[in-house]
Amino acid sequence: MKYIKIYFACVKTAFAQAAAYRADFIMGSFITLLSNILFPLVTILIYANGAEFPGWNMWEVLLIQSIYSMSTGISSMLLSSVVWVTMDHIREGSFETVLLKPVSPLFFIISANFDVQSIGLFLGGVIMMVIAVVHTGIGSVLDILSFLLLFVAGIMVLCGMNLIMAAISFKWVGNSRIPEIFDSISTFGKYPLSIFPRTVQILSVIVIPVAVIGFFPASALLGRVDKEAFLALIPCVLFLCFGVWLYNKMIRLYEGVGG
Amino acid sequence: MSIITVEDLVKSYTTYKRGSGFKETLKSFFKREEIEIKAVDHISFQIKKGSICGILGPNGAGKSTTIKMLCGALYPTSGSIDVMGYSPAKDRMKYVQKIGAVFGQKSQLIWDIPPVDSFAMNKAIYGIEDAEYKRRLGEMAELFDIGEVMYKPTRVLSLGERMKCEFVMAMLHGPEIVFLDEPTIGLDVIAKAKIREVVSEMNRNGTTFILTTHDLEDVEQLAQEVIVINHGKKVFDDSLQNLKSTLGNKKIVSLSLAKAFNEEKLRSVLGDVPVIPGSNDHEILLEVDLDKQNIRDFLGSLNGIVDFKDISIKELPMETIITRIYSE
Amino acid sequence: MKKLKHKFEECKAVAFVTYKEWSAYRTHSLVSVFVGPVYFIVQYFIWTAVYGDAGSLAGLELSETIRYFGASALIGYLTMDFADWNLQMLIRTGKFLTFTLRPMHHRFFALSQKLGHRVLGFFFEFLPCLLIFMLLFKVEILPDRMGWTFVSVALAFLMNFYVNYCLGMTAFFLVKANGIRVVYQLFAQIFSGALIPLNFFPKVLQSVMIFLPFQYTNYIPAMVWTGSESIGVLKLNVPQAVLAQAFATILMFVLSEVLYRCAMKRFTAVGA
Repeated sequence: MKYIKIYFACVKTAFAQAAAYRADFIMGSFITLLSNILFPLVTILIYANGAEFPGWNMWEVLLIQSIYSMSTGISSMLLSSVVWVTMDHIREGSFETVLLKPVSPLFFIISANFDVQSIGLFLGGVIMMVIAVVHTGIGSVLDILSFLLLFVAGIMVLCGMNLIMAAISFKWVGNSRIPEIFDSISTFGKYPLSIFPRTVQILSVIVIPVAVIGFFPASALLGRVDKEAFLALIPCVLFLCFGVWLYNKMIRLYEGVGG
Repeated sequence: MSIITVEDLVKSYTTYKRGSGFKETLKSFFKREEIEIKAVDHISFQIKKGSICGILGPNGAGKSTTIKMLCGALYPTSGSIDVMGYSPAKDRMKYVQKIGAVFGQKSQLIWDIPPVDSFAMNKAIYGIEDAEYKRRLGEMAELFDIGEVMYKPTRVLSLGERMKCEFVMAMLHGPEIVFLDEPTIGLDVIAKAKIREVVSEMNRNGTTFILTTHDLEDVEQLAQEVIVINHGKKVFDDSLQNLKSTLGNKKIVSLSLAKAFNEEKLRSVLGDVPVIPGSNDHEILLEVDLDKQNIRDFLGSLNGIVDFKDISIKELPMETIITRIYSE
Repeated sequence: MKKLKHKFEECKAVAFVTYKEWSAYRTHSLVSVFVGPVYFIVQYFIWTAVYGDAGSLAGLELSETIRYFGASALIGYLTMDFADWNLQMLIRTGKFLTFTLRPMHHRFFALSQKLGHRVLGFFFEFLPCLLIFMLLFKVEILPDRMGWTFVSVALAFLMNFYVNYCLGMTAFFLVKANGIRVVYQLFAQIFSGALIPLNFFPKVLQSVMIFLPFQYTNYIPAMVWTGSESIGVLKLNVPQAVLAQAFATILMFVLSEVLYRCAMKRFTAVGA
């Protein structure tokens, strides 16, 4: 209860800050939005040149990618800054200031660094999704429910990813390029799973469940998801738990060494 | 023989008045109100070869603008500067080969690698011969006592050590003139002393130094000539001796009192020593003229009449000096 | 002659110092060694699926497209720089001043820095990725026309530098120059050809691109690398494409010189 109160207080501050620097905020969100809805461009150009992903029409592929943008937007708002903040603290040797707070360090970093700007990314995803859905149509109520379930699971995967990256930055000090690793891996989740060979498919469902970020929710919404897809929920939960565990372990290690 | 001749130097900026709020901003987008600021206002002076000249003044007085123009980084609005026959801003590339500069807050060293590598880079930029480079680096490393320090990455050095390396960096190519902008800012007493010692030493070997500072101590210990600038105008230009005799040999004694002070009682004992009220009524500042009164006797006489918890003795603050010079 | 030797010595010293400075971060380049191949694999699967039975798309065969993406990534490692960010930072913090006090043109200084930085990139990004593409993925990535490719990549190296240097100089004139930089990078991402070969764009857009700097930094050198005989909307052959690049680079150099003079006039007047 106390934690929820703190969290909302922090979120409110984040919005107040964004409002104070309105022009910067709008510009920032706009750029975030533009640069992240770029990748559908490739898809559009592919279809414009008369080619296709076998078994998928353009709007269906765009639906995957719009859902991907929405998940990324939400997870970025929640904890994308954890990576940067942790990185800065470790480099400057100022992580102690976080440990001084009378709340869980992970919780403190997450709530104190709510990233309002990523709302641009989320909204961009929503707009794109609406356009795509108009063309594809959606399945039954059950399909929508399974979509929501898988969508949440996808956000969990992204949050887990962010935490793992942040945990790595404890060891790989000052490497601002760590998030690129994560961006490159998650590219596998932006396209129909069927285009990848069997091994890659298994890896991206079970080991690092990136397929659940965009592909599975989109398939669910289109009513063409297998029941087995829901088994992927298990690795998603495990993945998030692993992220939290790893990050906390790094904090404990840090406390032991004292930076 | 003067090495620098400055005549009727003016530097003015045009800035625009900026409104706050949306309407004002929009208005200023179409029609902006110009404001002219004279950072340097008709200044002339000469500096002798082989001297150390201090340019003094409070913050924002125009010291930095002046030194930037002397270095060639800024064009004067009008007036002329002649340094060793060069016009600094016009002949910049040739001119900067002959000078060195240390800007207290703008490091030339490269953060992640040892200073000696940065030195090697400057060796190439200034085209210093191998033998000459070795000789000078050896000499200066010894002088500044950085023999070991210069092989460590810059980021791990203390501010004082870094400053010494900045000096070496600026003087490796054997410049005839070295400009120092706030060279001792932020340094501790020992580092300050070392820097001053080396500047004097280099000066004895014939290098001319021009330094800007608002630390009166720098000037007292180094400079032979002093130029004081305020609001862009030159208010004093003479030897250090004359500045001292103008100001008198004065110190500020600052007292923290146990009880609020009684001005009348103080007056009766101190006579004509000026009493300046401090920030609250438990603090007072006394200006003591050492030519008239021995500081020990003065403190002795204080002892009987006021009950103080703490005492410190300082130089005259810059602002007081400026007002004093004006009133002369 | 003596002046040239001095220039060379300057360049070498600055490049060496930059190399040393960035060596501290060489493990960071390992990120590229992971990320580069991963993106390449993704591209491989995407395009293999997309081509299906089609012989060619937008005038490119599947093998050409795959080679194109490999070349494009490798060229990126050889030509990237952040002269724009660096210069903007120097101007904003006022540190640019210390460069006006040295007898070396700052643009030449920055170019030498880039050289040192890219030598590092050559060893820790370019070479490992090249070897992975060749030995692990068994892609025939080596260029057919080595000489032309070398010249083309060298021109892209300069082109990218002059463009970024110009972007950096905007900080002399504008307070919020950072926005311009970000917007440029956004456009560069799309139109340089790193995302998708420009052949896939509508013809009109491709024609407009001829007059913009983007394609000269990545698309054209990547096409030259693959040895294509019909590059871009003008269907240039390799020597013609390199000539076009040379022309664009010279133009960009002239622009940077003009901007530099204006900037210096302003800087020495205001002292930013």
